[in-house]
Amino acid sequence: MNHQSIVEIRNLEKKYGQKQVLHAINLDIQSGQIIGYIGPNGAGKSTTVKILCGLINDFEGDVTIFGKDLRTQTIDIKKQVGYIPENAVLYESLTPMEFMEFIGEMRGLENELTRTKAEALMNIFEMKPNLHQRIATFSKGMRQKVLICSALLHNPDLIFMDEPLSGLDANSVIMVKEMLIHLAREGKTVFYSSHLMDVVEKISDRIILIDQGKVIADGSFEELNRLSNDENLEKMFTRLTGNTNHSEKAEAFINAFEK
Amino acid sequence: MIRFLLSLFTPFRWFIEKMGADYNQFIRILELQLTMDNRRMKGIGNNSKKETENALIKQSFGQIVFGIFFATFLYIVKSSFTFYYFAHIFLMTMMAMMIISEFTTILFDTSENVIIQPLPIRGNTISLARNAHVFIYLSLMAFNLSVISVIVAIFKFGIVSALIFSVTIFLNVLFTLFLANILYLGIMRLASGEKLKNLLMYFQIVIAILFMLAYQVGINMVDKTHIQDMVLPVYWYTYFVPPAFFSGFVEAFSFNLFDIQHLLFIAETMIIPLVSIYLTGKYLTPVFNRKLMDLEQGDRASKVKVESTSPGLWYRMMIPVFIHRKEEKAPFNLIWIMTGRERLFIQSFLPSLAYILIIIFVQFFTKSFNYDELVQSNRYLVILYAFIFVSASLPVSLLNGNNQHAAWVFKTMPLLSPACYFKGFIKGAFARYFVPFFLPLSVIICFVWGIKVLPDVIIAFLAIYLFTLLFYYYQHPNFPFGLEKSANQSGTAFVKIMGLILTAVILGYLHYLLLHWFNFANLMLIPVYLLAIYYVNRVFIYKKITWEEVDEVNTYS
Repeated sequence: MNHQSIVEIRNLEKKYGQKQVLHAINLDIQSGQIIGYIGPNGAGKSTTVKILCGLINDFEGDVTIFGKDLRTQTIDIKKQVGYIPENAVLYESLTPMEFMEFIGEMRGLENELTRTKAEALMNIFEMKPNLHQRIATFSKGMRQKVLICSALLHNPDLIFMDEPLSGLDANSVIMVKEMLIHLAREGKTVFYSSHLMDVVEKISDRIILIDQGKVIADGSFEELNRLSNDENLEKMFTRLTGNTNHSEKAEAFINAFEK
Repeated sequence: MIRFLLSLFTPFRWFIEKMGADYNQFIRILELQLTMDNRRMKGIGNNSKKETENALIKQSFGQIVFGIFFATFLYIVKSSFTFYYFAHIFLMTMMAMMIISEFTTILFDTSENVIIQPLPIRGNTISLARNAHVFIYLSLMAFNLSVISVIVAIFKFGIVSALIFSVTIFLNVLFTLFLANILYLGIMRLASGEKLKNLLMYFQIVIAILFMLAYQVGINMVDKTHIQDMVLPVYWYTYFVPPAFFSGFVEAFSFNLFDIQHLLFIAETMIIPLVSIYLTGKYLTPVFNRKLMDLEQGDRASKVKVESTSPGLWYRMMIPVFIHRKEEKAPFNLIWIMTGRERLFIQSFLPSLAYILIIIFVQFFTKSFNYDELVQSNRYLVILYAFIFVSASLPVSLLNGNNQHAAWVFKTMPLLSPACYFKGFIKGAFARYFVPFFLPLSVIICFVWGIKVLPDVIIAFLAIYLFTLLFYYYQHPNFPFGLEKSANQSGTAFVKIMGLILTAVILGYLHYLLLHWFNFANLMLIPVYLLAIYYVNRVFIYKKITWEEVDEVNTYS
């Protein structure tokens, strides 16, 4: 396959005060792939995604996206990138349509185009009747759907998702999974950070596992499996992140109750 | 500090338990709330903690200054009963205003219920803690406001009298809190859910306006020589006026007056506040709590309604006037929609508009009114420049709201400079909330004073627009409606208002001088202001509001 490298990360480091959250991350990401970015809580997943989307500006190392430098050509990169944040927080007093019209206009889309696209996307999620209701009345899953739609409005080539499935019901999860596979087939790249091992295992072309700010495994599930003989991603995850004594911990947990 | 405050409740443990609260839980909840107040951060700036502490100091300072003004007024009062009577009235009014403008949000705050309600805590404990929380801030305020009056009382009536005065101040705070509870329960009976929230909002606005009106009219009507020798007569209904029995109590003990009249006052002072706070805890708060829970439940369902999609005529008229750059249109539109829906915005902005009307009203109707004389004068300048209050209140009102974590969307957009956001925001708010009020008044002015004052109207409009822009661009570039309004935040208003009045007077006076210098001298101001606006919008803002500045005060998560 003729994949070109669209994200190049060299020695990416990030500190919050004294605490170093990312240690020399090096990655190359090819187009048309779904990248599953996994790791335990606090491993630095969200931080990486935020840096790549241009939400966090101060970092060490070099990042090139679409051959452009993230530091100097942020604007050009942002034009081609879609971002779905982790916590589905939106302006509550707006309706999805108003929110998407704002995004569309800021991204330079024609109003008519924004509206038809918003309707079409929301229709897929069976949310067309909610287009003109305030977001304040929505459940978490509904908000997540609005976020997914608004991130796809401008037809981005690279999509960053931070836990995109949180709060979605089973049908929507299946739908988003299908959607991601379709997007990848069209040559779009999806960078996908998640805790949900089974989903990542099924749809990712490549899995990157990070722990304490370091990449500790990288490759397709088959490749990783060949090296380690774990029966599924979950097992591999727990082995690599050094938490093999789950049953002992669970027992300690129970003991804590009994005191 | 928190420990100390909490320890003050220890002697009243029996009383709190009597009202049906679990004392340990009560203290824990209170501690939590105070700790959160203490740590409430403004953005992610490094010195954010310092900033909030400063706010509390600034606020206290403002209140003390206010207290000094009042104490000087009290100083000339000879009768001790009148002295304490006025002191208590002043205190009650200020506290009532504070409760209505600042603490309603705390009393009706249901956000911590998610955490607290699943725990085995009785509703009474929660409400009592909430009341105690407000009580702490009210006491601090009462202290600041009356500390100077107490000193004055020492000199005038002796130390014993002043000490007893301090005790009644404390009782007054309790009593006012009780009144607030009753008031809110009454309102809650009238409506529920979303309607109630709107009703509360308008209630707050109306009360704020009434207080301002009473204050303005009152200040103008007070005759100093009269007050000096004023002795308030005691009628039968005097016994029902709370400040009267507080001052009767002080008088009785400072001068050993124990006749029937004073004994009645003493009895009232001892019984009413304590009984009222007992009633609040025992009977009112449970009802309050139940209503509050309904409020939360009813919230979601009642909000589901379809919003209209077509922009109004006014919007379409304003767009070509204010928006000349494509990228400002979306922020303009966003703020146009949201300012109509964000409750906190309406709540804090509308009273300032009313304030302008009051200034105008007081200017023209408390003094002898003569139409011919009026038309000859330049007093339309006062009307026009009164609108400069908008310059301060509009930018500030755009800050507060419950959208702390929604600002990420602005950062993900491909924009070289965030300036166009802020230009669009302030223009949108200005077009929607200033122009429609200024325009009709201008028409009336042109009608009364003749079309020859039209240039003056234009000059004033430009001056106010310029200052609104400057105020907005000079405050921290927080994205709109993302700052939490906290109990100890409202501080600097006093200083700001003073500065504003000064600005308005200077601008108005400059305008006035030019009018009298030679004919059409005032026209010079038009190009000056236009150039200044052009400079501010095209050059200044791009230097002032950069992503670095914006990132400093906003969080994107």
